Amino acid sequence: MGTAWGDSCRVSFWSFLRPPPLDPKLKVVGSTAIFQDCNRQELETLKLYLHERHYLAGEIVFDEGEDGEGVYIVVSGKFQATRKGMLKKKNLGEILPGECFGEIALLKSTPRLATVVAEEPSVAFAMFRSELERLADARPRLGFKVAVQVARLMSSRLHRFLEGHTDSSILS
Amino acid sequence: MSQEIRVSNPRALEHPIIWIGVIGGTLGSIVLLDRIAWLALPLILAVVFYYLVHPFLIRLQHWGIAPQHALTIFLVLASLLCVVASLTVLPAMLNSVSQFQTNLPETMQRLSQIASEFLKNIEARFPLAKKAGLAEGLQARIDFFAQGKGTQFAGDAALFAFKWLPSLLLVPFLTFFFLRDGTAFHQLILRAVPNAFFEKTLLLFDRMDRQMHGYFKGMFWLTVLDTITLGLGLWILGLGQGIFSFQNAMLLGLVCAVFAWVPYVGTAVGGLIAICVCALHSPHNPQLLFSVVLLFCGVRLLDEFLYTPATVGRALHMHPLVTVMMIFAGGMLGGVYGLLLAMPLLGIFTVLGQMFGEIWFDPRLRARHTARNLLEKRLASNDLDL
Repeated sequence: MGTAWGDSCRVSFWSFLRPPPLDPKLKVVGSTAIFQDCNRQELETLKLYLHERHYLAGEIVFDEGEDGEGVYIVVSGKFQATRKGMLKKKNLGEILPGECFGEIALLKSTPRLATVVAEEPSVAFAMFRSELERLADARPRLGFKVAVQVARLMSSRLHRFLEGHTDSSILS
Repeated sequence: MSQEIRVSNPRALEHPIIWIGVIGGTLGSIVLLDRIAWLALPLILAVVFYYLVHPFLIRLQHWGIAPQHALTIFLVLASLLCVVASLTVLPAMLNSVSQFQTNLPETMQRLSQIASEFLKNIEARFPLAKKAGLAEGLQARIDFFAQGKGTQFAGDAALFAFKWLPSLLLVPFLTFFFLRDGTAFHQLILRAVPNAFFEKTLLLFDRMDRQMHGYFKGMFWLTVLDTITLGLGLWILGLGQGIFSFQNAMLLGLVCAVFAWVPYVGTAVGGLIAICVCALHSPHNPQLLFSVVLLFCGVRLLDEFLYTPATVGRALHMHPLVTVMMIFAGGMLGGVYGLLLAMPLLGIFTVLGQMFGEIWFDPRLRARHTARNLLEKRLASNDLDL
């Protein structure tokens, strides 16, 4: 009896020292490709630079050709990316929780390459280029980590794209 | 592909509604700020301090210090500075102010005499001025100011300080909360923006933030440069006459530099103050007065071609006529407040107007917002027989 009481005291003592559990939404953010290297403390810092947005099924997040200002990280729900084709819209695929879209705009203001629509009620975090610049000013280490991960993600996407195109004129 | 790129509308500001909104918003804000001056002044000063202190906190964070700790370090340093200033500079300043108040009636009388002599000299040289009654008219005005406003000012100064003291005590309090919760407050405001306008609004906030940061930082450095140039210039000019000590020359330089915050008009007022001070100390030395005028003209040119482009920049791109008209309108509606705030407010409202124009005149964004409202309505009435 005494031992059990002692055990329960020990458990509650350690649980008191343990930090509170990480926000589940931040857990999802931490699992995305561009934030996967961030530790708990860095994710808590990132929260100050993220904007939570709620989308209804069928709502457009951004249009193809629109000036891009930042990246979106899917926390829950499902998004669909499409691109204008010669005759009809080309489906680029679904974007699920733990994935991100629009990351090119995090480095440069460029027109969006696709239209993204919420397929069901969804939640996404948005982070903007100006905020990444501010983050890099205040926390250069964290800013560098994020920028490197964005570059890696883009390079892997470019690699996948080039694998499908054997025409050397793409590189020139 | 290039035909599909939808660029933001750079001509949004040319729309008359936007222009009227920008001017109306600027003047309306001046009136409002004048009405609630007791609260507006600490709020504006807190915003200015926020923009001046924020880069320092960012620098501390850059060195690996956590944001809360950076703020604590700043608070400790600022408190120490306040204690040192209140022990050293404040007594000297209070002494100078009380001396100034005591000497003010005498100073005004001497100034009036000097002006009278000067005007009589002009009339003696130019008979046309005598015909027009230049000396009489101006003398009457100077006497009115010297006897009326001048003495009234001396009596009101202490009352003025007591009236504004509680309000000014709010400044450090507000600045602290801006620095601590600024980001959270920013997020809270953006949460209220509809999804369709979100990216553009964020861009607006960023532009405004950068513009205000650049403006206040630039104004700070411009004031420092003007103070040094004018202070050194006045000190050198007064060396032979024994008019200014180095400290006094720098103080006068600072006063004139603060007046120079009001474009065009401020430099003239600052120059007039410096001329009055020189005339009081050395009334029969026209060369000195002429040199002071030349110094102010030189500093104005330096401001125009060197200091301002290097510090504040020419971000507003306003026509000088519009600038002067807005300053005078601001002065009429909000007194000193209006004079000082007309340009910064015009800058803010110009960016707001530009961005509002870009959002409001973008039919696609409005269509997306309408579509979202329809989706919401459909969702809310899904189980109802309508």
